[in-house]
Amino acid sequence: MGTLGKVVFWLVTAFVLFVIVAPLAWIYLTAFKSPNDIFTTEARKLIFFKPTMENFNRLFREFPFWDNFLNTVIISVASTVVVMVISSLAAYSFARWNTGKGHLLFTTISTRMFPGVVAAIPFFVMYRNLGLLDTRFGLTLLHIYFNTSFATFLLYGFFKEIPEELEQAAMVDGYSRVDIFRKIVLPLVRPGLAVTAVFCLVWSWNEFLFSFLFTRVAARPVTVLISSFWGSIEVQYGPMAAGAAIVILPTLVAAWFMQRYIIRGLTFGAVKG
Amino acid sequence: MAEVRLENVVKMYGKKMAVRGVSFTCREGEFFSILGPTGAGKTTILKMIAGIEPVTSGKILFNGRVVNDLPPQERNVSMAFETYNLYPHMTVYENIAFPLRAPRWRLKLTPEEERKRVEEIAAFLGIDRLLDRLPQNLSGGQKQRVSLARALVRKAEVYLLDEPIAHLDAKLKFSTQTLLKEFAQRYGSTIIYVTHDFREALALSDRMVILRRGLVEQEGTPEEIYYYPRTDFVGRLVGDPPMNLIDGEIIPEGGTLFFRKGEDFTLRLEGRLAEQAQDVSWNENGRKVVRLGIRPEHIRLGGEKPSENAFRLPVYAVIHESESSVVTFRLRDNTFLYVRTVGFCKYGKGEEVWLDFDPQWMFFYGKTVEVLREGSSEK
Repeated sequence: MGTLGKVVFWLVTAFVLFVIVAPLAWIYLTAFKSPNDIFTTEARKLIFFKPTMENFNRLFREFPFWDNFLNTVIISVASTVVVMVISSLAAYSFARWNTGKGHLLFTTISTRMFPGVVAAIPFFVMYRNLGLLDTRFGLTLLHIYFNTSFATFLLYGFFKEIPEELEQAAMVDGYSRVDIFRKIVLPLVRPGLAVTAVFCLVWSWNEFLFSFLFTRVAARPVTVLISSFWGSIEVQYGPMAAGAAIVILPTLVAAWFMQRYIIRGLTFGAVKG
Repeated sequence: MAEVRLENVVKMYGKKMAVRGVSFTCREGEFFSILGPTGAGKTTILKMIAGIEPVTSGKILFNGRVVNDLPPQERNVSMAFETYNLYPHMTVYENIAFPLRAPRWRLKLTPEEERKRVEEIAAFLGIDRLLDRLPQNLSGGQKQRVSLARALVRKAEVYLLDEPIAHLDAKLKFSTQTLLKEFAQRYGSTIIYVTHDFREALALSDRMVILRRGLVEQEGTPEEIYYYPRTDFVGRLVGDPPMNLIDGEIIPEGGTLFFRKGEDFTLRLEGRLAEQAQDVSWNENGRKVVRLGIRPEHIRLGGEKPSENAFRLPVYAVIHESESSVVTFRLRDNTFLYVRTVGFCKYGKGEEVWLDFDPQWMFFYGKTVEVLREGSSEK
């Protein structure tokens, strides 16, 4: 790589880094600013200001932040657990026995092919009749519905990578189907399971549209709370940034955790060893 | 130990027939080989015996009992796969111990007993220093021996070995052959051994079958297969250089039958040979044609005319091997004739030599394979 190449490489890297880091930095800086510092036009104050916990105090005192945060945790974790159980078994079945000759797999995946909003109206009517509106259970069900297709599709690829002969060898060695799934298939597909689970968790954690439409008070996730700071009269940047700063943390951890596994997941084809 | 019998076994993959009615019996305690070129259906047959692939029609019997519908877990067979199929997340030790730990066999070994069994078979195959490694850190030859160890560690009704030494280097191949032979004799095991290498099959087997495009071409002892090949295909497959196959005309003249190979040579046929030649000959452009087969070591060379049937040809090339030489002659139709002589052959290129076919080892065949000519490829 020549000097020019190096310059271009670092320019592009710096640009990408800026695009990713700038909004995060802005959120974390704003979270610790007083209202005056937030709205000042003084450029120096962008970074140099007197930090305050005022935004966090307001967030915890005046808004049901922790209740909503708990909703998010419960809904995303519960839906991910259920999705992983359903999808891993379904994907294994699709990958190994071609269950439904591809039609069933396509039907499963096709639930992802139309805009979510299209499904929102029939779901809304259904939920109203069933009394599922504004319940954690109801929103969890919706997240299961949307994530199952995606997770099945992703896991299908991972299961497909495991050579069938490996399982045949284990059958000859005297193991039952269930034992083979537990002792051979699951350990080998673990990186794939981790990647899929994290994707589902993050998607459910960040999900806004259905949370916004299907919850009001009791089951409201934290994403909807944060958006409510953007009122028609004023935008409360302080509490909004403080809330975002906390909510983002788990996903940042997940992203860091995932980068290890995604690389493993991508090079997963090396099963033959 | 079990006797394994196949009765008219057919395997279809969709509309493609991979195995077209194969029958053979592997007796109890026998070392039985299935020899054939790529795509003959060897592995498919092994997998059907193991219960991995369902049989389309026909029967597979263990000790006279039909096992067609039994899953692999119920058949108590053991198999070494050509592709090794080691479990990538387990160490070599765990791989070998895996069949011992299957609840199905109710072995219930203590950890010490298990370690003893694994170490014994690992030492037997020379992989005892690799026990803590993962398969990804092994060479091809090492993986192959681990897969063989995993197949042999457990007492099974029948051991199915699919090209188990194909990926070993020459020296290891030889020593592992010796080990396999010893294993078979020590435990009186029934072994069905699949290979494309005729040397392995001849060296190891009590009996063997030759498989060709899903059909049994010949069944017999290694001696029968080598010295009395039933078809030109068997003669070609077994032996290096393979059996010489010479297509020539048969001409009756004054009550005697002659085999004429163009301008190259003419042989007088008597007794068994004359009958055989008549039986298998076919018509080509109004002439009676037949295929003569003779192994390279059954042709004698000499400086003086050794018999009435002998003829002279110029030497095309001489290849010296360690304990013998292969002398090549080129016939006028661009096919080669190979002759193996004991010791170091002293003939030079172009030298005219007398060739004498040993009538005891001459065979006549119908034509079922194409003979390689110079500048073409064998089919």
